[in-house]
Amino acid sequence: MSKRKFSVRHVPGAAPIAIVTFVALYAPVLILIANAFNAGPVIGRWEGFSGRWFVAAIGNDAFRNAALNSLIVAALAALISTSLATMAALAITRGRRLRGEGGIFVVLNQPLLVPEIVLAIALMIVLAQIKQATGYHGLGYLIVAHSTFCIPFAFMPIRARLEGMDLTLETAAMDLYAGRFYTFRRVTLPLLAPGILAGFMLAFVVSLDNVVVSSFVKSPGQETLPTYLMGELRRNLSSEIYAISALLLFASVTVVAASWLITRRKP
Amino acid sequence: MLEIKSLSKTFGAGVAAYHALRSVDVTVAEGEFFTLLGPSGCGKTTLLRLIAGFEQPTGGQLVLDGQDIAAIPPSRRPVNTVFQSYALFPHMTVAQNVAFGLEARGTAPGDVARRVDEMLQLVQMDHLRDRKSAALSGGQQQRVALARALAPRPRILLLDEPLSALDLKLRKEMQAELKRLQREMGLTFIFVTHDQDEALTMSDRIAVMEGGRLQQVATPRDLYDHPANRFVAGFIGETNFLPGRAAEGQLRLDGFAPVALAEAKAVNGAVTVMIRPEHIIVGREAPDCVQTSGQIDELVFFGTDTHVKLTLPGGASLTARAQNSLHSATDLNPGQTVPLSLPYDALRILPDEAAHAV
Ligand SMILES: Nc1ncnc2c1ncn2[C@@H]1O[C@H](COP(=O)(O)OP(=O)(O)OP(=O)(O)O)[C@@H](O)[C@H]1O
Ligand SMILES: [Mg+2]
Repeated sequence: MSKRKFSVRHVPGAAPIAIVTFVALYAPVLILIANAFNAGPVIGRWEGFSGRWFVAAIGNDAFRNAALNSLIVAALAALISTSLATMAALAITRGRRLRGEGGIFVVLNQPLLVPEIVLAIALMIVLAQIKQATGYHGLGYLIVAHSTFCIPFAFMPIRARLEGMDLTLETAAMDLYAGRFYTFRRVTLPLLAPGILAGFMLAFVVSLDNVVVSSFVKSPGQETLPTYLMGELRRNLSSEIYAISALLLFASVTVVAASWLITRRKP
Repeated sequence: MLEIKSLSKTFGAGVAAYHALRSVDVTVAEGEFFTLLGPSGCGKTTLLRLIAGFEQPTGGQLVLDGQDIAAIPPSRRPVNTVFQSYALFPHMTVAQNVAFGLEARGTAPGDVARRVDEMLQLVQMDHLRDRKSAALSGGQQQRVALARALAPRPRILLLDEPLSALDLKLRKEMQAELKRLQREMGLTFIFVTHDQDEALTMSDRIAVMEGGRLQQVATPRDLYDHPANRFVAGFIGETNFLPGRAAEGQLRLDGFAPVALAEAKAVNGAVTVMIRPEHIIVGREAPDCVQTSGQIDELVFFGTDTHVKLTLPGGASLTARAQNSLHSATDLNPGQTVPLSLPYDALRILPDEAAHAV
């Protein structure tokens, strides 16, 4: 008995606490999904199972527009932040030791240190001036803004992957007549690819789910999926909103699950 | 031919400076199986890394076939390495790994394919050519690493403890195979190990290193029979050391009558005398020997022979080895006092380091 290793599972009461936590976390989400399939228009009154709200949402131009904006912003912001994060991770773990490495770390993690609302206000002020100066009101601002706070999320899996990589592989490549670029292309990059892909996906979801920065930075009339939902909520609470939320949830979960599966694979 | 000329390597600077190599001088001949042997941290890997170009020397020269290679980066040195961890590319197949060096050099695809086939046959890995290298056993990885390093036809192959990760049986097999490959290809091998048996059985010459210095470079036989100093004598094989004095061609082991010895002519003063356990004759008096006796403390059976641990009348301890031949005397018992003969020509005089220090 005393030989058994300590395990949280054997602490009295651990199981009930776990169950309560689990329910508290997921029950509201499950209720939301259930409501999305409610045939009736009124929340809380079940009128049978139906997919009509999904059909309605997809037929809704405003929704389609917001969804498209969200996907474009998420894809480009993820692309930009992942590229920057890859370069930063390479610079930190490769080559000679950089001076001020701690400083780089602080810069990279700025979005995790600075409260989001503060970041949003700061971005709004700067970007508003640019908007005024240039007269451009497109999605570019959202893409730039999202790229900044996506960097740490893209950075984490890439760095983890790089740190787990055997440096002698690169030495071996150079020993076998490979120059720096050839080594990067044939050895470093392929080994890093799962980390980069996972980083891209995390950045993608983080951008897709963002509300605060988007609401402050978006130009008038421009909507992303979350800001569109916020706006609709203020007007009326319909089952269609539940259907849209369920779609967003599904997109998020799919991407996160995929990225988890990729990072789980051994190098 | 690789000439290593007063090569040194210092890591760090100032008070933190660490001298990993101190003025190493040696020439490795064409087609030679040259082994670097020494305890952990003596600088073996550092020397290999300097030859491969992964590190820059802080002093001295490396001359390969008459050309100073100091300025040539590793990716252009005609030298390949078999790494201790094998360092196979895990995302590539066996064949892709072997092809890597040829492709990086821009060899024509047809020639690459032919050379890869040839190499895989050489190391008998043809049947696993499309297997991912991460899914191979240690011995198989070893073979692939060897094929990969040999494929671009290097002038010198560097091997950093390539067998240390293998179990004993596989290690013996690979030792024989490496030696066969090296002989057949006539290639220069610089082989690192800290296993003295491996070094003795495989090498044409061995360089014994310690503290960043070459202590002695010699054939296995010479190293064993005529070690240059106490470190080499103690590192290679088992040895007994006895204190003594040498003067005018006479050697006097402490507690014994002086004997005339050719070797003693070159030295004067305090010396350490070495004798290998297997050269000591236990249980009888023999001609041309220092005669003494010893009390048996312990007998350790080793199959082919028995180690006899003895105490001499003066209190010094000595280990002898008695062959376990079919009719050998099995009547040795602990506690017993037996005659011992130390043949004159088995005595080796080593410069006494303690005496030097004074
Ligand atoms: N990059 C480095 N910076 C500082 N010191 C180093 C560096 N590389 C090696 N050394 C030191 O140089 C010494 C020799 O190292 P080396 O790796 O050559 O030893 P070795 O003979 O190969 O030992 P082992 O048998 O354990 O592999 C060691 O004390 C090591 O700590
Ligand atoms: Mg080493």
